[in-house]
Amino acid sequence: MDNLENVKADIVLDTRGLSCPMPILRLKKEMKTTEPGKIVEVWSTDPGSKKDMPDFAKKQGDEFLGYVDEAGYTRYLIKKGG
Amino acid sequence: MEKTSLRSQIGKEIKRGYHFIFIRDMPLWVAGIGIGILAILIFLWRYPWGISSGYGNWGNQLYYYLGIGKLAGLAEAPLTPWIHPVSVMNLAMIFGATGASMMKGQFSTYLAPPREYVKGFIGGALMGIGSSFANGCIEGGFYTAVGVFSTGGFMMMIGLALGSILGVKYLIWEMLNWPVKIPTQKPLDCKKTPWINWCKVYPYIGGGIYILICLSFYVYSAFDKTVVGGMAFFGLWVGFFMQRSRFCLQRTFRNPFMTGDYEMVKAVILSLIIYSAGSAVIKYGFFQPETHGIDHRFWMGSLLGGGIFGLGMVIAGACASSGLWRAGEGNTKVWLAIVGFCTVYPFTKNAVKSTALGPFLGKGVYLVDVLTWTWTPVFYLAFFLAWYFLAVYNEKTEKFVISL
Repeated sequence: MDNLENVKADIVLDTRGLSCPMPILRLKKEMKTTEPGKIVEVWSTDPGSKKDMPDFAKKQGDEFLGYVDEAGYTRYLIKKGG
Repeated sequence: MEKTSLRSQIGKEIKRGYHFIFIRDMPLWVAGIGIGILAILIFLWRYPWGISSGYGNWGNQLYYYLGIGKLAGLAEAPLTPWIHPVSVMNLAMIFGATGASMMKGQFSTYLAPPREYVKGFIGGALMGIGSSFANGCIEGGFYTAVGVFSTGGFMMMIGLALGSILGVKYLIWEMLNWPVKIPTQKPLDCKKTPWINWCKVYPYIGGGIYILICLSFYVYSAFDKTVVGGMAFFGLWVGFFMQRSRFCLQRTFRNPFMTGDYEMVKAVILSLIIYSAGSAVIKYGFFQPETHGIDHRFWMGSLLGGGIFGLGMVIAGACASSGLWRAGEGNTKVWLAIVGFCTVYPFTKNAVKSTALGPFLGKGVYLVDVLTWTWTPVFYLAFFLAWYFLAVYNEKTEKFVISL
C-alpha cells in the first residue's frame, strides 16, 4: 500500500463520523455519476469500512486500489470500472 | 542454523497462535459456525440464547431507582446487572468486543454528527418496542426462535425484511434530501493523545480483559453463581466471534435491499443449520424441555415487532447483538441506541404483558407440534435452500435492491 500515498483522487468523499451503512451508501451514490477510470477517495472512521469498501467495489465491478491509515481515519481508493 | 530450543519454539508458537486467533481477519462463515456452537452450549447451559432481557434488566434499574418501577411492572428491586444472567452475558459481549478490537488495533472512539445520536436513540427505542411485541429481539426473536423451532422466528423474519426496506428507503431519502453534515473537528487519534500512546497500550488492555473475564467464571463459582459465570464466559466468546468477523444480524436483512450483498445470509444459514441441528438433539433427547424458548408471540407480535425492530435497527445502524459489539469497539452512536432500547423496553414490555395487547399479539407455537419431527427437518431444508437461492438470485439481478 506504500505507493498509494501518491495516488491523486478525482473525487474525495468525506464520511468521517458516520457509521455503517452510510459510508457505503454515500459511495454507492457517488459511483452512480462517476465516469469509468476516475478515482474516488473515501474518508471513513468506521472500522467496518476496511471490509465493506473492498467487498462493495468488487461487487460493483470497480477496482479497489487499497487504503491508507491516517490520524484517526482511513482513506480508501477506488477506481470506477468500465 | 536457527535456534531451536524448546523455549524459543514455544515462544514462536504462542506468537503464531496469537496472530491466528486475535489478529488475522476472520471469515464470516467461521463466525457462523462458532456462534452456532456457542448457541447450542448456551441452550444446554441454561436456556436458549437471548439478549433483550439483559437490556430489560438495565432499563429496569433506571425505572426502579427513578421511582417509576410501577410503569415497568416492578414490585421489587430488579436483580443487579452483574447477577442477572443475560445482563452478564451482554456485558461480557461488550467487553469481549472491546478486548478483541483492542488486540486487533480496531478500537476507536469517534464522535458522530449530532443527528446521528438522535437517530441512534430513536432507532434503539423502536428496537425496544419491536422486541416487546415479538417477545425477543433479532437475536432471541429470530435467530434463536428459528434455531429452537419456534414459529414466531419465521414471522419475525418477514417483519424484519419489511422493516429493513422501510429503513433503507429512509436512509436513501435522508441522504438525497437532508444529508447529515460531516463534523469539522478532527477525529481522535490514539497515537497522539497526551502522555501515553494508547495504540501501543490497547493490545495489553484487550488481553487483560480476556484473562479477567475467563477468571470471573471462578469468582462467580466461588459465590455459588456458576451458571452466571458461564454466561460471562459464553458472552465473551460470542463478542469475540462477532467483532472479529463483523457478524451483524442486521446486515442479513438490510444488505439484500441496499446492495444485494448476501454474505451474511450465507453465514446465518450455516449458523442456523448448526444451531437447529443441535437444538433438535437437545429437545428430542430430552436434555432440556421441548418448551424452552417457545415464547415468541406468533404471529401478529412477531410480524409487527419484526417490522418495527427492522426499521429501528437500520436507523440506529445496529441491532441488539451487533449493538453490543459495536458499542464495545467504540461506536458512540450505538451507545445512544442502547440507551433508547433500555429506556423504552421495560415500559412497552409491561404494557404488552399486562393489557389485552398481549393476547392480541399471540403466543408461542412450537413448530414440531404442528409438523411433527418427521416433517420439521424437511421444512427446514426447504426453507434454508429457498432463502439461499432467493438471496443469490437477488445478488445477481438486484431485483429487490432499492435504487437511489
